[in-house]
Amino acid sequence: MKYEYTILPFRFDHFSNEEYLLTNDVGEYIFLKNADFEKFVTHELDSKSDLFYDLASKQIATTDKVEDVVKMLATKFRTKKSILRDFTSLHMVVPTLRCNSSCIYCQVKRHEKSDHSADMTKKTAKNIVKCIFDGPSPYIKIEFQGGDPSIDFEMVKYIIEEAEWVNLFKKRDLSFVICTNLTLLTPDMVKYLKKHKCDISTSLDGPKDLHDTNRPLQDKKLDHHEIFEKNVKMVRDIWGDADCVSALMTTSKYSLGRYKEIIDEYIRLGFNNIFLRSLNPYGFASEYKEKVAYPIEEFIENFKEGLDYIIEINKKGTFFVEGFAALLLKRILTPFATGFVDLQSPAGVGIAGAIYDYDGSVYVADEGRMLARFKNYYFKLGNVNENTFQEMFNGKLLHEIIENSCTECLPGCADCVFQPYCGADPVRNYSVQGDVVGHRPTNEMCIKTKAIIHYLMEKLHEGDPETIKIFWSWIK
Amino acid sequence: MANLEFPINVIDGNKLKISFDLKLYSKEAITATCYKYTGKYYIHESCEENTVSILFESKDKSDISQTVVKEFCNNLIDQEIRHNINKDFGYIRDLIVEEAFKPVNK
Repeated sequence: MKYEYTILPFRFDHFSNEEYLLTNDVGEYIFLKNADFEKFVTHELDSKSDLFYDLASKQIATTDKVEDVVKMLATKFRTKKSILRDFTSLHMVVPTLRCNSSCIYCQVKRHEKSDHSADMTKKTAKNIVKCIFDGPSPYIKIEFQGGDPSIDFEMVKYIIEEAEWVNLFKKRDLSFVICTNLTLLTPDMVKYLKKHKCDISTSLDGPKDLHDTNRPLQDKKLDHHEIFEKNVKMVRDIWGDADCVSALMTTSKYSLGRYKEIIDEYIRLGFNNIFLRSLNPYGFASEYKEKVAYPIEEFIENFKEGLDYIIEINKKGTFFVEGFAALLLKRILTPFATGFVDLQSPAGVGIAGAIYDYDGSVYVADEGRMLARFKNYYFKLGNVNENTFQEMFNGKLLHEIIENSCTECLPGCADCVFQPYCGADPVRNYSVQGDVVGHRPTNEMCIKTKAIIHYLMEKLHEGDPETIKIFWSWIK
Repeated sequence: MANLEFPINVIDGNKLKISFDLKLYSKEAITATCYKYTGKYYIHESCEENTVSILFESKDKSDISQTVVKEFCNNLIDQEIRHNINKDFGYIRDLIVEEAFKPVNK
């Protein structure tokens, strides 16, 4: 018997041998047994059954007027894409390429501490601030990167104060963050950062031996991990808030099999979240791939083990978040937009974030800057000393990149069941696969993201009430 | 039942050819299915009247098992369902996007 109902746009795939997973453009999802799926798509599913009501509540089918459901879906869709409304808000600035570390996976051609050839000038800094405020976004976050920006702290101060001055007239929601290995921070510098509400983001790769293997200081006599631990405490003591400093980890091949120790070290040092991050293929990491890299499948297995361990820790009463899972869960479980530049559709490159190099060159993303170190300037939008904001951010190049980074119409993404939760990374596609569109069947980022979303979906489908409660606590 | 086999025309260990009837499957669904296999195989499509023939050649020169072709057949059915649903109801997605961006188009 055929039933009268309208099937609304959805994507599907086999989730297991017994079930299909269905999702729609606004991120709603449902699991259907194979037989039910067949009935549904052939209009043989009873439109008065509980299962049909479930599908209708997810706006995957309807017996109502299509126009009414379209209005509802459009509102949700607009919310999901609201990240586009404000345009570029994350502005990464590189005051210097000097650094006192020699990380084994370093993406930047760092300069020695005494080599001032890659320091930003005040003229360039002033033009960068002007360019940033020429943008339309009501939110402006200036993130200092390097090298290690704390080496040229005078330039960091100059940019902060210039931005605060300009903002007296522009009145944007202005914030700062400095990315540093912490080792060069003094109490006076921290007091300055606190006064100017500049958050601190640092890197922690795990216990002492691992952290020092991945991120040795150039001065071999110094103990990186020991200084790090001492300075984390100093920063928190001055700030009076344990959350004033956040940390990022990078997985080298030495990190594999050690996620539990890494997570334990984060907790020991008072952090309440971690972002289990795979190595990216840019810069030195791809030059010395065999020394630090690993098959993506190994990362995925480590990620799953790490996530399980974190869930167990939460179950024992310690609130601790895995950042990538939290981001994806927010996309899966809520209608809200999430501002993660590396996984947006259209891609966040240029239109959500951009990076300003020490010489004033502007790139769509940090990884575009890495490519430029190897004389590939494909992702360079221009230079603040020569070009206007309009020329760079409304130019042909950025339009072309964005047009080719909408997962809704990319081959292999358009009909992927995980499309509503995923995004495009045209810089990575170009760097690894030769063009901004990329080739999904061999794309490691695609393999990784799909595997992780699938794993989260398994957890949601298992429905362990404690796990679900923990997931919700992560996205609040 | 023992004689029932998938219509595979094996040319060589690392190459094989399979044909599909265009009365059953759309060209779009066939090509979309082929795309998923382009990571491991070189693929060539040719068409004669109502038949599309697909030539697979494994990139690493390894032999192609029959399981690959059976999976291809199942994937093709999924792809055909996607194609049909999109053909019948895809216009609703256009309506949603149009409605969603109405405020900025005013």
